[in-house]
Amino acid sequence: MELRKAHIRNFVVFVLPALFLLAVFVLYPTFSTLFMSFVGPEGELTLQNYQSVFASGDIINFKNIQQGQFPFGTLVHNALWIAIHLPLTTFLGLFLAALLRDVKGGAIIKSVIFLGMVMPLVVGGIMIRFMFDGNIGIVNLFLKTFGFPTQTWTAYPETSLLALIFGSVWLWTGFSMIIYSAGLETIPKTYYEAAEIDGASKLRIFFSITIPMLKPITVVVVTMTLLWELKIFDIVYVATMGGPGGSSNVLALQMYLYGFRAWDFSKAAVVAVLITGLTIFAAIPLIRSAGEENVQ
Amino acid sequence: MKKLLLVVFIFAATIFMGQQITVIGPWSGAEKDAFTPVLEKFEEQTGIKVQYQIYRAEDLANLLPAQFSTKRTPGDVIFMWTSFMKSNPEHIVNLSDLIKPENFRPGALDNVTVDGEIIGIPYTGKVKPGFWYRKSFFEEHSLTEPETWDEFVALLEEISGIEGITAPIASGNGVGWPLSDVTEHFILTYGGAELQKDLIAGNVNWTGETAKKPMNKLASLLSEGYFGEPVEWTTVLEQWWQGQYGLYFMGQWLTGMVDDPSDLGVLALPGNEAVVFALDYAFIPKYSKNVDAAKQLIEFLAGPEGQTAQVEQGGHIASANGVSLDAYPPVDKEIAELLEGKATVNDLDDSIGGMWQATFWDQLKLLWVRPGRLDSVLESLQSNMP
Repeated sequence: MELRKAHIRNFVVFVLPALFLLAVFVLYPTFSTLFMSFVGPEGELTLQNYQSVFASGDIINFKNIQQGQFPFGTLVHNALWIAIHLPLTTFLGLFLAALLRDVKGGAIIKSVIFLGMVMPLVVGGIMIRFMFDGNIGIVNLFLKTFGFPTQTWTAYPETSLLALIFGSVWLWTGFSMIIYSAGLETIPKTYYEAAEIDGASKLRIFFSITIPMLKPITVVVVTMTLLWELKIFDIVYVATMGGPGGSSNVLALQMYLYGFRAWDFSKAAVVAVLITGLTIFAAIPLIRSAGEENVQ
Repeated sequence: MKKLLLVVFIFAATIFMGQQITVIGPWSGAEKDAFTPVLEKFEEQTGIKVQYQIYRAEDLANLLPAQFSTKRTPGDVIFMWTSFMKSNPEHIVNLSDLIKPENFRPGALDNVTVDGEIIGIPYTGKVKPGFWYRKSFFEEHSLTEPETWDEFVALLEEISGIEGITAPIASGNGVGWPLSDVTEHFILTYGGAELQKDLIAGNVNWTGETAKKPMNKLASLLSEGYFGEPVEWTTVLEQWWQGQYGLYFMGQWLTGMVDDPSDLGVLALPGNEAVVFALDYAFIPKYSKNVDAAKQLIEFLAGPEGQTAQVEQGGHIASANGVSLDAYPPVDKEIAELLEGKATVNDLDDSIGGMWQATFWDQLKLLWVRPGRLDSVLESLQSNMP
């Protein structure tokens, strides 16, 4: 009886306030946004907002996809971001974490790489703009050295999105590197010693011990990176504002443009619902992984 | 206890010291310095303290709808896009009893009149007269101002042949407005002031032949490579001043941004008879707790006295009647006189505003690097018209 009372007291004191806050600040806005996405100009419930947003070509631009010219639509741009940025940052982070593990001064190098992650993304966006600038950009300086043609890469529809994606790799690699570094520390040294005694090569050790042991870490890195890529806004807003001609536009910026340029909050809600759906879908592996850990 | 008394004293002193109102405007740096004397003059005359806060219109567009929905306002007098004011008249104080159209340049109140009610004031404005050049650059290379389109193209060809030139015309980038200013100059020259007014009103289709004509002229120059790659507008200003470009299209505020304004010359496209006179507009939100004091400031800013104080600082042209030409610095006086013979129109994208403005700026960035996509640019502009 006493135990039951303690359970109820703990629930009321610790769980209920958290549930209340979740309901007020997460569930209510989420369902309110979902509802708003179905509200028409006259206050009626309709699918018109969804039809209008998807028919506009802002989300997927089939005509331009067929013609092979940017913009392809914000959803496709986010997908491209994931296709390029996710593997690059994940593998680069793992590679750097493994490389700098036992190196003297490795912590300092890691700190420098992690600076990109610490920096506000607005500042990162401005830096990307300057990095790819035709006159003063470091990328062009590098290309010029090897005799390649130079230009302002963010100014052209074919290269603006790619410039942002590649530019943002250094901003995010620090995250995966730090998480992997922490993960590497959890692998018992005896595994490596045993493998070395058995005559396994460094490469074999890496693929047969390091990578499998880092699987839970990889789930975290991939999921968090995926969520970041789906919600990407700041860098694009500052560096190109989605241009030129929408060729580097992304879902979150499109939501902002509908909401705060067109002042059409129903259309903005449609994009918000789409982003929320995609992020929930992307977060499933992480939630499942956390569930498995709890069971263990 | 002493601390508590001190807090109470400061609080009471703040209340009884006098009225204070907050003005929100977009100007920072040198532009803010030029606005400060106007506010100081108002403070001297009325004893009302004015606090100035900087917010760009883009930021206000995010902030104000949320504030207004809770019947709050961050400022008592707010400088903002007229498109925003027209979309939100229910949140704005009616100024019809205070502001009379006959006291302003013709058309100055068009953008702030909703259903016959005046909801904002035109403050001073800036003219976008044409392509600026350095007189010394033209003299050094024996260049002359063109009288016809062919001469204009020949001039560009001549400039592109000069050693060290990146492109004949510098293209300012940033949010996108520098490109839209050049575009409007082409619309005004080869379509006339009426076309610009019709485009603002939505009476003319962007994909129709009338609107396409000036855009084709612009696209032809872009295709020939006479315009440089869009570069951040203050950076390219430096490069233009140093001789990397021959011409630079910019509003009259450029006169305050160069080392030697006396070396500046300006040429319009041949045949141009209209210029954009981009006014700054302000309004009073209904939720201001100091509406009476705000009205006093609005009246001051809209009147010849306030506007004289502003134009004396340079870079501005008054919208109110009764501002003496003698109040202008020499360069601005020339521009003010130039206005006498030309039709003035409102800024195209500021007038339409909203999503269309963002689209216009973005599509022009595309046109600048891919002029061959003019048709898709125009289609996009048309489909995004409110």
